[in-house]
Amino acid sequence: MRSVLFLAVVLTAGCAGPLSTLDPAGPVAGQIAWLWWAMLAGAGVLTLLVLVLVAMGFGGLRPVAARVWTHRLGLWFSLGVLSVTLGAGLWVGERILPRGDAVEVTAHSFQWGWRFGHPDGMGGWIAAEGVLHIPAGEPVDVVVTSADVIHAFWVPRLAGKIDAIPGRENRLRLQADAPGIYAGRSAEFSGVGYAGMTFTVIAHAPDDWPAAIAALRDEAPDD
Amino acid sequence: MKWLGAVLIGPSLWFAVFLGVYGLHGLICGQWGAVDTGGRAALIAAWGLGIAAFLPVLRLLPAAPEHSIDLPRAGLWIGLGATVFTLFPVTITSSCG
Amino acid sequence: MTDIPSPGQTAPADTRAATVHIPASPAQRALPLHRLLSQVWANDDGLWGQITAVSHTTLGLRFMATAFVFFAIGGILSMLIRAQLATPDGAFLDTELYNQIFTMHGSIMMFLFAIPMLEGLGIWLLPKMLGTRDMAFPRLTALGYWCYLFGGLIMLTALLFGVAPHDGWFMYTPLSSAEFSPGINADVWLLGVTFVEISAVAAAVEITVTILRQRAPGMRLMEMPLFAWYMLGTSAMMLVGFPPLIAGSVLLEIERAFDWPFFDPARGGDPLLWQHLFWLFGHPEVYIIFLPAAGVMSMMIPVLCRTTILGYGAIVAAILALVFLSFGLWVHHMFTVGIPHMALAFFSAASVLVAVPTAVQVFAWIGTMWKGHPQLHLPMYHILGFFLTFVMGGLTGVMLAIVPFNWQAHDTAFVTAHLHYVLIGGFVFPMMAAATYWMPLMTGKRRIKGLGEAAFWVILIGFHGTFFIMHLTGLMGMPRRIDVYPDNPEWIWLNLTSSIFSFVLTIGFALYALDLILQATLGKRESRDPWGAPTLDWAMPIPSPNYNFASLPTARHLGRDAGDIIVPLARGEGMLPGAPRGRREILVTSVGDATPDHVAMLPGNTALPLVLSSAICVFVLLMLASLYALAGLALLPVAALIWVWVRGMAPQGAMTPVEAAPGLHLPIHHRATTTLGQSGLMAFLVANGTLFSSLLFGLAFLSVVTPGPAAPPSAVSAAQVLPAFALLAAALVLALGAMGWRRAGAAWAGTALNLAALGAVLWLAVQLENPTAHTRDALRAVLTGYIGLHVLVAAGMSAFVADQYRRGEISPEVPGAWPSCNLWQRYTTAVTLITLAVVIAQGVIT
Repeated sequence: MRSVLFLAVVLTAGCAGPLSTLDPAGPVAGQIAWLWWAMLAGAGVLTLLVLVLVAMGFGGLRPVAARVWTHRLGLWFSLGVLSVTLGAGLWVGERILPRGDAVEVTAHSFQWGWRFGHPDGMGGWIAAEGVLHIPAGEPVDVVVTSADVIHAFWVPRLAGKIDAIPGRENRLRLQADAPGIYAGRSAEFSGVGYAGMTFTVIAHAPDDWPAAIAALRDEAPDD
Repeated sequence: MKWLGAVLIGPSLWFAVFLGVYGLHGLICGQWGAVDTGGRAALIAAWGLGIAAFLPVLRLLPAAPEHSIDLPRAGLWIGLGATVFTLFPVTITSSCG
Repeated sequence: MTDIPSPGQTAPADTRAATVHIPASPAQRALPLHRLLSQVWANDDGLWGQITAVSHTTLGLRFMATAFVFFAIGGILSMLIRAQLATPDGAFLDTELYNQIFTMHGSIMMFLFAIPMLEGLGIWLLPKMLGTRDMAFPRLTALGYWCYLFGGLIMLTALLFGVAPHDGWFMYTPLSSAEFSPGINADVWLLGVTFVEISAVAAAVEITVTILRQRAPGMRLMEMPLFAWYMLGTSAMMLVGFPPLIAGSVLLEIERAFDWPFFDPARGGDPLLWQHLFWLFGHPEVYIIFLPAAGVMSMMIPVLCRTTILGYGAIVAAILALVFLSFGLWVHHMFTVGIPHMALAFFSAASVLVAVPTAVQVFAWIGTMWKGHPQLHLPMYHILGFFLTFVMGGLTGVMLAIVPFNWQAHDTAFVTAHLHYVLIGGFVFPMMAAATYWMPLMTGKRRIKGLGEAAFWVILIGFHGTFFIMHLTGLMGMPRRIDVYPDNPEWIWLNLTSSIFSFVLTIGFALYALDLILQATLGKRESRDPWGAPTLDWAMPIPSPNYNFASLPTARHLGRDAGDIIVPLARGEGMLPGAPRGRREILVTSVGDATPDHVAMLPGNTALPLVLSSAICVFVLLMLASLYALAGLALLPVAALIWVWVRGMAPQGAMTPVEAAPGLHLPIHHRATTTLGQSGLMAFLVANGTLFSSLLFGLAFLSVVTPGPAAPPSAVSAAQVLPAFALLAAALVLALGAMGWRRAGAAWAGTALNLAALGAVLWLAVQLENPTAHTRDALRAVLTGYIGLHVLVAAGMSAFVADQYRRGEISPEVPGAWPSCNLWQRYTTAVTLITLAVVIAQGVIT
């Protein structure tokens, strides 16, 4: 019942938004969004089922077989539903892993901001503060690190999140279907500057991407 | 005390198999960076061995006295179920990335 | 309703009676019995009586009342959070204060509300339900209460002065390390929460012992009320779940205070070690909170449906499964830290699997409703609120266990919504049901009709209005713990809706509290056993007297309608009628079948728990003030008070057996084989062993998993430390041998050998390398300290036994403190040998 209500609310208000996971703009985020809608439908049905069973409990005395409730419903039915859910999760999980070739960029986090590194094609890196440039339509691996405390790299419309942990390097696969500007932010609490720890991802048409990076080099301060 | 020990057998076996398979997986990833066919075979074998370890215990466990819940046996089934369910990903998921 | 058997009864009452046949005592007049028992068991008069009270009824109620006050404070903090988030620019609070407020909201609700509330419920209800007069360790109950109160007050005071913890309730390092959180904010959390955890461990120990050793004779383990099974599961989980948190907190506090690196990646430490230790506690914690709530559900539903519980055995198996599975899924709080997919899949599967035993219970409860005839009394409203809310929270929990979805939803408002559905659905609704159900037993009053129902509806609407929409807020990308969102106007209406309904929710809770207060003050007298329940908790006058039962119920009284056995028990027809010896006497039974074993005399009213907890409080405050040398000195009075405490348990007075029932003479506990105290020490050693294992886990994790820099080569050679190793091992093994000898000389020898071992530990300590250099050396220093402390206590215990010989308290029949001393010595020797082996192995491998 509530799930139906939820759906109605979602449909009327719209799920769009710069940070909305329900408004995916790439295959990774798209698959996760699909998984969510499937799980929501399942959860709605299950909630309804339990509530109906509870309501029917008020129907008065009747003979009841204990094992139907504890074993058939409690054990086997729930195990079946959960196995399907887990299977779907693993299947999607496999498909969004960083596998195969991808463009590699770096994201270095600190209190409170982001410094991104882009390959210059000659083995070097070109840095940019607060803006990550990626090619659209291609898989991109972001190598995430931290200078101080734990942060998390998150561009909800493109992929899930991964933590930036001091002393470690983590890798996240994302992909934008079309050129555009995508909002990103840290999703791990990091102190007083946390709310403002946002960044932007600009996806360029693959042909324009080298030029965009070259332009960064000209802007970049010498260091 | 003995009864408590018997109740702990099932979950402890699960814990041990979990630890073994998880450790083996870490070892393979640390050594070779990926789980190849041989590595996967080893993981599945470890999982299978873990499951097999439950069978003799299930057979040898004495029956509980009458009018009583056989909690040690329930513990074994819980452990066996958990071993099968939580470790079956060794058969399908890719590993070190 | 007399034909209703006890919930959970699997064997007919006659077979049970045959197992333990105890003749009935002759009936007496009830009133003189009541007067005598009241005199012996009552609290002292007035305020002083509140300070010296050790009664489980007094302290259980006080635990719950205090927890409710903290719930209100945590609730007010949540109102501030919602006020801040109602608008995108939230000019209401500054960020630093906002961070303190959400950190305190979470910490208060977890550590100062939920845990103490369930402890209080267990402490108040268990002895009544099991058919005994008090918990196993009444002074420990009081000590736990004072530690809880003082720890909570320290944290609240910090909030008033604006120096409250501000790193989030899970205190992730390095944010909570000295570098990024200078000032005492984080120390307040680490020391305050650890101080409060003394009460959790104390409660876990005594709940375990009470359930296993104090059930009414004939109440076999397999037939005890389900609430006792749930609390047994809870206390077992607390014994194993809290030590990792305590270990983590101690390590982090040491790192902050003395710069020993455990979590600093530059020196071989690892921030992830904190997360593992925290969530090794943190996830079981969720089930620690849920199990008691499920326990009261399993008691109330059959009674309110006029039937018996469906699937007793399946529910017990489900509890067992929950207890174990919940320790195998903590990593689902860490799905985004960068763990290989196969490993994630294991923990994802385990997290999903834990829903199965939960489903078994939910369906067993619904089946019970089908089987019976549910009556819509007020507790049933809250039970229905539970079904609606908890099922939804459980399902979002399954969603979060699915790794890809978790990567999106993690640390967003979706998780906030989920955890409130689970905790309010799975804990607060059942607790509200329980409070309305047991209020007559607490107060002796009948409730005023209408207000409770209104409160329920306001709470239900307020809750779902606040949190249902919050799922969407999270999916629309709003992370938890931000204070402003000027760039995201699409969240405004969502947050405003939540904020408005949160005030509705608050009004609901206020109405609920008002209902309870009105019932307690203005309610009319309720009759005994108002629900027609078949359990012992109602087989007593209301409100319950401090002694619970004028005579203790036996197998004959089990499985019967409580209303039918009130009078026989009040007239002294059960065991140990009255208090003819002027002592607080209870019956101790065997673990499995509950056959009578011995009679234990419980301590009376004393201010010692308050004094001891005050001494610990002084230590905590000195640590907070960074006065470490003084803090060390403050441990001296603590040690002295513990000696005084244990002296209070020394054998004295008449040792003659007690006639517990006609012809049934039972020894008193000084001559018993296994006393409650020894069972308690064993339970404590389980917790202690988990703490030790957590330290070893840390050592293994940091040497195997952590990618940080390797430890510098050791400057101390094996030849330099091996003599000390040998001396330590030899002294402890010899001390263990001395324990078996049981003479005055053995006690002195044990003392001397333990002191020699202490010398060896000090010898090792001076050879330790600088513990601030690398995590390897820091861990070795911590392990040395752990062993040193245990050897010191072992020396103290041997000296205590020697002192008992000097006083002539020990004889061949009266072992005094020997068994406990022996147990401790065995533990100390074992952990020392394990540590030496681990350190040697570590040295050989690297």
